[in-house]
Amino acid sequence: MTTLVQPAPAAVTTEPRNAWGAVFALARLEGRRLLLSIPVLVAFAVYIAWIVWHTLDSYHGFPALQDADRDTQSTPLLVGLAVMLSVNQAVLRSRRRDTERHFAVLPVNTWRRTVAHVLSVVPAVLLTAVCVGVQFGWEALKPGAVGHGSLGELAVGPLTVLVCGALGVLMARVLKSTFVGPMLVVFLLFFFVLGASPQDGEGTRWLNPVVGEGSSKTLPSDLLGRPAAWHALYLLGLGLTLGALAVLAGGGRRVRTCYAALGAALSLLLAGAFGQSGGTPASLTAAREKATLNPEQTCEQRGGSTYCAFPEWEPRIGTWAEVVDGVQGLAGGTAKDQKLLVRQRVEARYGLSSDGALETLDAPNEVTVGTRWGGPRVPEFSSAVAAVLVAGSEQEGTSMCDGRVVTVMWISLGWQDKPIDELRNVRLDDSISGSAIVLQPTSAISMSAAQTDVVRTLLTRPRAEVTALVKKHWKELTAPGITTARAAELVGVKGITEKNGCEE
Amino acid sequence: MTSTVSASGLSLHYGGTRALDEVSLRLTPGVTGLIGPNGAGKTTLLRVLATAVPPQRGEFTVLGHDPGSLRGRQEVRRRLGYLPQTPGFHPDFTAFEFVDYVAILKELNQRSARHGEVRRVLDEVGLGEVRGRKIKKLSGGMRQRVALAAALVGDPGFLVLDEPTVGLDPEQRMRFRELIAQAGEGRTVLLSTHQTEDVAMLCHRVLVMAGGRIHFDGTPAELAAQAAGRVWSSAERAPHAKAGWRTGTGTFRNVGDPPPGAELLEPTLEDGYLLTLDGYGMAVTA
Repeated sequence: MTTLVQPAPAAVTTEPRNAWGAVFALARLEGRRLLLSIPVLVAFAVYIAWIVWHTLDSYHGFPALQDADRDTQSTPLLVGLAVMLSVNQAVLRSRRRDTERHFAVLPVNTWRRTVAHVLSVVPAVLLTAVCVGVQFGWEALKPGAVGHGSLGELAVGPLTVLVCGALGVLMARVLKSTFVGPMLVVFLLFFFVLGASPQDGEGTRWLNPVVGEGSSKTLPSDLLGRPAAWHALYLLGLGLTLGALAVLAGGGRRVRTCYAALGAALSLLLAGAFGQSGGTPASLTAAREKATLNPEQTCEQRGGSTYCAFPEWEPRIGTWAEVVDGVQGLAGGTAKDQKLLVRQRVEARYGLSSDGALETLDAPNEVTVGTRWGGPRVPEFSSAVAAVLVAGSEQEGTSMCDGRVVTVMWISLGWQDKPIDELRNVRLDDSISGSAIVLQPTSAISMSAAQTDVVRTLLTRPRAEVTALVKKHWKELTAPGITTARAAELVGVKGITEKNGCEE
Repeated sequence: MTSTVSASGLSLHYGGTRALDEVSLRLTPGVTGLIGPNGAGKTTLLRVLATAVPPQRGEFTVLGHDPGSLRGRQEVRRRLGYLPQTPGFHPDFTAFEFVDYVAILKELNQRSARHGEVRRVLDEVGLGEVRGRKIKKLSGGMRQRVALAAALVGDPGFLVLDEPTVGLDPEQRMRFRELIAQAGEGRTVLLSTHQTEDVAMLCHRVLVMAGGRIHFDGTPAELAAQAAGRVWSSAERAPHAKAGWRTGTGTFRNVGDPPPGAELLEPTLEDGYLLTLDGYGMAVTA
């Protein structure tokens, strides 16, 4: 085309103009509007309220950080859905409000505006990251915290928000309908929240943003076998790929940079997807086997007993020793000075896919302690210690059902601050009357209704008085075959006629 | 005067319809009026010059930049202010936010300078006091002024206004004319309108368009002069007049070929416009 005439000077603004500068300025403006949109505000309010409510008493104050990091992953999905909905509506705003005819002749064209919309999600992503950081930091600062979190696991929440936001932009550019955003939110809610989260093959389940586990057990962090970093890379790649596709759909098809960005994003996506689909390496299987059957642990002497823990749990040894001291303080005979070997054990062979039970130890004076602590785990360990002190070994202790159960439960609970509450906690049905199963780290013992009555009565009496009687009659109270009635009589509880709790 | 916008042979067909047919023009600083009947191609011409649609044939430059190339188009857009016919708004934005949004899309990136510019144009269109009010709470006239502010932000060298006074009451229209006149000082304004009064009051030049072609290009006085000797008064409706209507005095004002001895009247721009269209075979309605 030829220039026909010499132009007159244009009216000029002194400010230098730059297309990318405008994209970032627009992204800032849209990002601020996105954060202040009603769905996103509500989602963040609910999310923050959930963090406070959940973290106040999570893990009973004794979190393992390799579990706590995964706790940060699901709830950001709520923020993600709100972001998806709001950013979708924001992209469609100019179409809905008929400003497109005007904006189409402005220097920042549609594909650059799409880039700005994708970038506008970033403040919500960062705010989610702050929330994740606060939640995890709160857990980490709890005095009972042990273990190590993973940056990869912590990145899942914010990256889920990124993926949702990019999907919202893409949907707006491809389908251009204001109904698609809400419909997509409803579909994803059903998919993720109402149980459609696939528990299928190891490879495919990692295609979901948030990958849960079938087990609630706690493993040492090096035995988890979750490809967290690869998954974070996969989510980052997925978010960027969706964003790049949105930009292409928004008019960037003739811009080489857009294809380069799509190529880079796809590379990240494929690298992450490939990396996370590797399955369980042989070295991890061997390490899990070893940790289950013959673990390498640090052992420490406390009082007369030895405590062996996985390295990450060393800070817990003092807490375990307090329990052992408390139980032995109420025991009589040789039990009060019995040297125990407290071994931390874990069934790691199945990873986190199932809750495998630990077998009881048959070696004398060895007690199992698990990898979780706080809440009911304390009286469970306490009753295991008591059972070993009374019966000699875990295996003997868990098969016990005679009157010795009274002694076991008294020395297990009598030293604690709120023994009746702990009695409730340690019983499977949370009751303090009738027969029930008492949980222990490896197995359980059963309490008959009469034994429960005796123990409950003892727990309401002055501790010194009961302790004196128990110590006085220790030998008879811990003799195999003692009836519940006789045990009750020895500790001064009347009206118990049951001969043997095993018959119930 | 030096041209700021030059076009030669612009053509654009939609199916079998010639929306633009070999349109050539040269615009100079000041307000140029573009008038014509519905379907004349005014909006299409404006959209082509505003780079919204490329012409199928022909070439044009705006302020020395050729929008045929990507870079040239970008340069034109950086110097362009566009007020579309029935502009859209984001009702949940305040007036300030909306103009600020447009300012960003015009690559005014530096926040404080941009905000200063937004305040300036809102003050210029008389909306300084209500800049914090949401657009959905503004009257139709105020919204139209927001649209003008959005067109003016960034101090564009070429302003394209597509029927900006449609739907405004007389007072608002007067206010708007004032703003357009002010905007035309030092920049090139192309004003499409159905209101010949707007052209008469604002424009130093007028283009009459019909059937995708420009049929007249001159000053408003020259357009009015097209009807010199062809407007007369009569007691009854003249049967051969192209158009005729009873005036407030009870006599008929006729446009066309007057009979001998007719009482000739001073022609207006509207008379010239009607006869220009008639001369090119366009229907004249009165």
